[in-house]
Amino acid sequence: MSATTAEPAPVRGVAATGGVRVRKTADAIATVVLWAMASSIIVMLAAFIIYIGYLGWSALTPSFIFGVPKETTAGGGIGPEIYNSFYILILTLLFTTPIAVAAGVFLQEYARPGGFRSIVQFSAESLATVPSVVMGLFGLLVFVYTFHWKYTALGGALTLTVLNLPALLRVTQEALSSVPDSLREASMALGGTKWQTITRVVLPSAIGRLTTGIVLIAGRIFGETAALIFTAGLSVTANKPYDLNPFHTAETLAVHLWYTHSESVVPDVDRIGNGSALVLLIMVLAFNVGARLIGRALTKRFTGRSS
Amino acid sequence: MGLRFAAGFVIIAMAALLIYLAFEGTKTFYVDRFPLWSFLFSPEFSPDANHPGAAVFIVGTIAVTVFAIAVGGPFGVAVGIFLAEIAPYRMTQILKPAIELMVGIPSVVYGWLGLTLLVPLIRTHTSSPSGFGLAAAGVVLSIMILPTVITLSEDAIRSLPYSLKEGSLALGATRWQTIIRVLVPSASSGIAVALILGIARAVGETLAIQMVIGNSTQFPKGVFGPTAALPTEIVTDMPGTTAGSLLEHALFSMAFLLLLIAMLLIVLVRFSLRRRA
Amino acid sequence: MDTQPAETSTTAAVKIETKDMNVFYGSFLAIKHASLKMKAQHVTALIGPSGCGKSTFLRALNRMHDLTPGAQVEGCVMLDDQDIYGADADPVVIRHRIGMVFQRPNPFPKTIYENVVYGPRIHGERDRRALDAIAERALRQAALWDEVKDRLQRSALDLSGGQQQRLCIARAVALNPEVILMDEPASALDPIATSKIEDLIGQLTDEYTVVIVTHSMQQAARISDDTAFFHLGEIVEVGPTNQIFTHPKEKRTEDYITGRFG
Repeated sequence: MSATTAEPAPVRGVAATGGVRVRKTADAIATVVLWAMASSIIVMLAAFIIYIGYLGWSALTPSFIFGVPKETTAGGGIGPEIYNSFYILILTLLFTTPIAVAAGVFLQEYARPGGFRSIVQFSAESLATVPSVVMGLFGLLVFVYTFHWKYTALGGALTLTVLNLPALLRVTQEALSSVPDSLREASMALGGTKWQTITRVVLPSAIGRLTTGIVLIAGRIFGETAALIFTAGLSVTANKPYDLNPFHTAETLAVHLWYTHSESVVPDVDRIGNGSALVLLIMVLAFNVGARLIGRALTKRFTGRSS
Repeated sequence: MGLRFAAGFVIIAMAALLIYLAFEGTKTFYVDRFPLWSFLFSPEFSPDANHPGAAVFIVGTIAVTVFAIAVGGPFGVAVGIFLAEIAPYRMTQILKPAIELMVGIPSVVYGWLGLTLLVPLIRTHTSSPSGFGLAAAGVVLSIMILPTVITLSEDAIRSLPYSLKEGSLALGATRWQTIIRVLVPSASSGIAVALILGIARAVGETLAIQMVIGNSTQFPKGVFGPTAALPTEIVTDMPGTTAGSLLEHALFSMAFLLLLIAMLLIVLVRFSLRRRA
Repeated sequence: MDTQPAETSTTAAVKIETKDMNVFYGSFLAIKHASLKMKAQHVTALIGPSGCGKSTFLRALNRMHDLTPGAQVEGCVMLDDQDIYGADADPVVIRHRIGMVFQRPNPFPKTIYENVVYGPRIHGERDRRALDAIAERALRQAALWDEVKDRLQRSALDLSGGQQQRLCIARAVALNPEVILMDEPASALDPIATSKIEDLIGQLTDEYTVVIVTHSMQQAARISDDTAFFHLGEIVEVGPTNQIFTHPKEKRTEDYITGRFG
């Protein structure tokens, strides 16, 4: 039979009593605390944006945005740096996108679960956790030391390619897996080959999410610093600020922001810093918002649906 | 097929990375014959005297990471819980884009914010003379790992079956009791992954902390004292080295050490995921 | 139409009763003017074709619709002599007195012991010996004690489907509720497990009032004292189980029972 210990008194009534009130109070307190924590993040972010905007606004003169940097005197601009940021961005995407998309298509659509596939996944995951500064040193070893290139935009772009490959690979895989299998089956049932199915049905369906992911990663590439310090360098070509040669030394805007605040000796560090930070922030916002808009527009265009 | 090669490229890249860094990173021990033990544990970092002990930086990395995960970890998990269980739709619509924006902000901008906002604050309100130091770096890093911890914790809780919550509430539990006693323990492996990846992010973060940590080669005197970490030391001293010198080799050894730590964390993540019964 | 419930089998006391209850999902009226008396320490079965609202009705009895945004319950539900939807009624208290077992077993990923004592724990019981006693009593009442008494510290997820469902019953019973609501508790189980659960239900009425939703008429006929037939959100007919199945008064009831639809 049951033990002789008395069980708790049975509950009567429907209203909240002492013990229940305590628990409900705990519940209310916890809810308030969590709301406060979540709100504080929004407040903090807003504060950052306002702060950067407020400080940097006055620095955004045409001579700043398009002018060249100065080594030791005031009045330097960030024109070549902005140019280099875009240059390296485009170059990086040119390399990374085909490789990542091809690899993603292979992994999602062709590969059988097994050895090769797991090794690729593991490599991608590991590559994703490599700190960017380590990647920069890797680039230094390969391009500057082994290839004897010195600091080049191309070296920077190639380094960033390896750095962003895992991210873009994951974006591709997720975009592809979001396409329902029923579409693939329909295409095959109509006699399409696997390749036709992928290029004509799967990829167009996935293109919205894929592009959103690419643009978001582009935003991160734009702000990348540590991997570029040792590969693309800390200066710009002396007489040719808008150099098209991929082997030119290419300090980007992000690197410039760091450089002026750690090594450089120009007297108007604050102005340059404020302005650079604001330009970087504007670019990040642009990439973020643009990613969504482009993604949505492309999805609509290629599939007729809105998401 | 070309596609297969593209996938293979990933493997090649990773392998090349490992090999190059292992090769260059061990030169300190083979070529310069500096003992591994001293490298890891000696607090004296004087490459001019042929003694690049990296203990200061290892401790710095650990300290700054512990600070970041101690502050940003619980905060991030809490906000993740909030998003998964408590936030109404409108709030989610504001908070999630805000978090995505936080991810997009370059680390150099976080560093700059720390430099212009946080460091003067610490300078005026504490005993620290310059404001640069461990605390500044820790705070900046806590903020930077928040998005990672938040989104992964939220995913972990959202992916739990609804029947779990339903069962708890049907037994007369309050929402908070359900969260703390059922949902969080059930999502523990996912939350562990969130924290481990937060740590991974913290360990590798370079620029933001380099701008506020003070970059001295000493142990910090108290929480507000200047010091350095493995990535920050690399960035600070590498531009000035000569190729083939002991300093350069030592810096590569530090990079290799960082790589090993990153890989260890990956293994931990996989282990955690497998534990999900 | 007529909302007067028919005379039921005996004149036992009514434990839980709904009076003219409506349940809205948004603007959709899922349950219409439902009035039903469920007798203490008896089994009342709710039957009807799928989608007729029997689960919706059941969930209104322990205020589970509070969890669904957009769901609205009108009318009153009386537990003994108090309205559980009254102004000062608290769902947390109500769910202590009215327990629920779901269609699919949903044990927590914890030990068997922790599952069973979860209810008492969250309501404030801390004494280890009291919890041990409760666990044993509840597991015995759920006919599970002999099978698990030596492995209480093992994970509940290691149990078979039928055992997990009995564990969920033990978990509900551990709180000493007055009413146990069961939403097709055996539909996910094999026939042997199902018959164990049915035997169990018979024993539970020694102490508890049971309201069970079932899509199996045979099950209703086997285990219940009274049966209510639902169709399109209304209670078409209610009465002693015997009478409903042999001499149904409404045509719709007869059509359903003889298999003409559903």
